[in-house]
Amino acid sequence: MALIETANLSKYYGPVKALDGLDLQVESGIIGLVGANGAGKSTLLKVLLGLVSPTAGRASVLGMDTVVAARSIRKVVGYMPEHDCLPPDVGATEFVTHMARISGLPRTAARERTAEVLRHVGLYEERYRQIGGYSTGMKQRVKLAQALVHDPQLLLLDEPTNGLDPAGRDEMLDLIKRTGTEFGITVVVASHLLGEIEQVCTYLLAIDAGHLQRSAPISTFTQRTPVLAVEVEEGADRLVTALAVNGARARQDGARVLIALDSEAVYDAVRDIVADLDLPLIRVQQERGRLEDLFRDAAPTAGSAE
Amino acid sequence: MTVPSPLVAAPRAGNIYDLGYRHYEGKRNGRAYAMWSLYVESLRGIWGFGRPTTAKAAPFLLAGFYALPAVIQLAFSSVIAQAASTGQAVELLAYRSYFTSFSFLVFFFCVAQAPELVCRDQRNQVLPLYFTRSVGPIEYALARLGSLATALFLLLLVPTLALFVGDVLMKPDTFQAVGDEWPKALPALPANALISAGLAAISLAISSFSPRRAYSAIGMVAYVLLMEAIPAAIYSIGQTSGWLWSDKLFLVTPLTSLNGAVYWFFGEKLDPQNFSGNLASGDYLAAALASVVVMTGILLYRYRRIPA
Repeated sequence: MALIETANLSKYYGPVKALDGLDLQVESGIIGLVGANGAGKSTLLKVLLGLVSPTAGRASVLGMDTVVAARSIRKVVGYMPEHDCLPPDVGATEFVTHMARISGLPRTAARERTAEVLRHVGLYEERYRQIGGYSTGMKQRVKLAQALVHDPQLLLLDEPTNGLDPAGRDEMLDLIKRTGTEFGITVVVASHLLGEIEQVCTYLLAIDAGHLQRSAPISTFTQRTPVLAVEVEEGADRLVTALAVNGARARQDGARVLIALDSEAVYDAVRDIVADLDLPLIRVQQERGRLEDLFRDAAPTAGSAE
Repeated sequence: MTVPSPLVAAPRAGNIYDLGYRHYEGKRNGRAYAMWSLYVESLRGIWGFGRPTTAKAAPFLLAGFYALPAVIQLAFSSVIAQAASTGQAVELLAYRSYFTSFSFLVFFFCVAQAPELVCRDQRNQVLPLYFTRSVGPIEYALARLGSLATALFLLLLVPTLALFVGDVLMKPDTFQAVGDEWPKALPALPANALISAGLAAISLAISSFSPRRAYSAIGMVAYVLLMEAIPAAIYSIGQTSGWLWSDKLFLVTPLTSLNGAVYWFFGEKLDPQNFSGNLASGDYLAAALASVVVMTGILLYRYRRIPA
C-alpha cells in the first residue's frame, strides 16, 4: 500500500490552478517535495490533511481517503505549517502539552511525551519560558515538537527551515533526518530549496504549476555520475595525459581535472601520478550529479559535471 | 602543502539528544476528549490561570466588583436584620433585579475576556494546529463558547449565593430560613444560565470576526450600545407619537431582552419604565433564546468559513 496516493488530484482557487491533475504514489522514507513558490506544495499538504477538499480527483493517506476519513488521518499525521503558529504568551511545555491533549493523549501521557519530544528537538531549560521570547530557531523547534508529540506515522513539514540561519538550517535538517531514520516516521518535507532536499531526503517529488514534474528516489539523481574532481595549481594538462596513459577517462576543466570513477584503482592512479609529477595538489573531491540539473533541463545526463 | 580532506565528511555533532525515540503505544482519546481539553484550557485561560499574573487582574476585579453589593449585604446581614426587627423599612437586593442593576459589569467582563478566547488563535495562526487534530472548526467554536458560558455562570453564581446566605442569616431560625429562602433563590439558577449562554454567544460571535482584540472589543461595545440605544430612542419617540409597535423593537436588544427574560423565571415582569418597553416576560424570554441560537449560528458559520 502506498503511503500517499493521489489520482488526478486538482484544486482550483477560482481561475488559479494550484493543483492540476496530480498523480502520485509515495512509499515511506524522507520525501522531498520541491517546487518554486506557488507550485502547489502547501496546497498538496493541506489536501492530504483534509483541510482543503480537492476540486477534482482523489487523494489518500495510509489508505484512507482525505475527504471521507480526514479525522482518522489527522490522528496519525503531524503537521508543521509554514507560517508562525505559536501563541507568544505561553511556555513551550504548556503549549505542546495542550496540543498533545487535543490530539487525544491523556493528561499524564501528554506531559511525558511533551518532555520527551522537546528534548528530542533540542529544547531544554528554555522550554518553560514564554514562546514570545524565543529565537526563530527555537520557535521552529517548538513547531516541529507539536507536530511530533502525538507520535504520528506521517509528518508533513511545510518549509521547516524558513527564516533560519545556515547553522539553524543544518540543525533542523539534521533533526528531520533523525526523525525519518531513527524514529521511523515517514516525513514529507516541502521546500523550494533543492540543496536541503538533497541533504536529507531519500525520495524526491518535484511539482511545478500543480503538475508532477518528477518522482524518483534521490539516489537516481545523485549517484548517476561518480566523477572525481582533482584540482591542481598547475600541470592539469600533464595530469590528463598521464591518466590517459593509465587508461582512465579524464578531461580538463579549467584548473580542475575530471576523472570518471570507473574503479577504486582510479584513486591510487591519481595519488601515484600526482606524486610522480610532483604536482601542487589543492583538492580531490568526488562530484555528484546535482539536483539543480533537474531543473536545468528535462533529462539530466550522465556527464552533468560540466 | 596542506591538503583538506573533503572525502571524509566531518562527523555530525548531533548526539546531544541521543536518548532514543520511543513510540507512543498508549491510549488515544477521541473528539469529545479533545473538546473537553480545549474547554478546560479556555476556562483556565478566561480566569488567567496558567497565564501571567496580569492576566488574572481583569477577570477577578470585574467579578469582584459584580459580587461586591451582594457581599456587602451579606456582611451587614445582622445589622440589616436588627433594623428590620425594629420595624424599619429595608429594601434588600433581589435575585431578579441583581443582574439588571449591575449587568454592565458582566458585559465588561465579556468585553475583556471574549476577544482573549477567540482572537489570539486567529492572530497567532494557531487554528490550523487545532483543525489538523481531532478538533474541527465546529468543535473548536463550541468548546470556546461553552467555556465562556461556564465562566459567566460562575461569575453570576457568586452574588446569587451571597444573597442567599445573607437572606438566611437575617432570619432568627437558620434551618427554617433555608427552607423558606431556597425556593426564592432557585429561579436564579436557570436565569443565570440563560444570561451566561446569551452573553457568551453574543460576545464570541462578534469577537470571532476580527483577529485583533481591540477591534473585537470595540465591535462588542458598539453592537450593544447601538442595539440598546436605537430601540430606546425610537420607543421614546413612539410613545409620544402613539406608535404601538415600537415596543417590539426591544426584542432585538442584547441586554434588555436578557433582563426581561430573567423576570420570567421569577414569574414577574420587567418594570416598563426604564427604556425597556412594555412587553410580557415570555416575549423577552423568547427573544433571548432566539438570540442565543442566532448568535451561536453566526459563530459556527464564521468558523466554518475561516481559512485553515
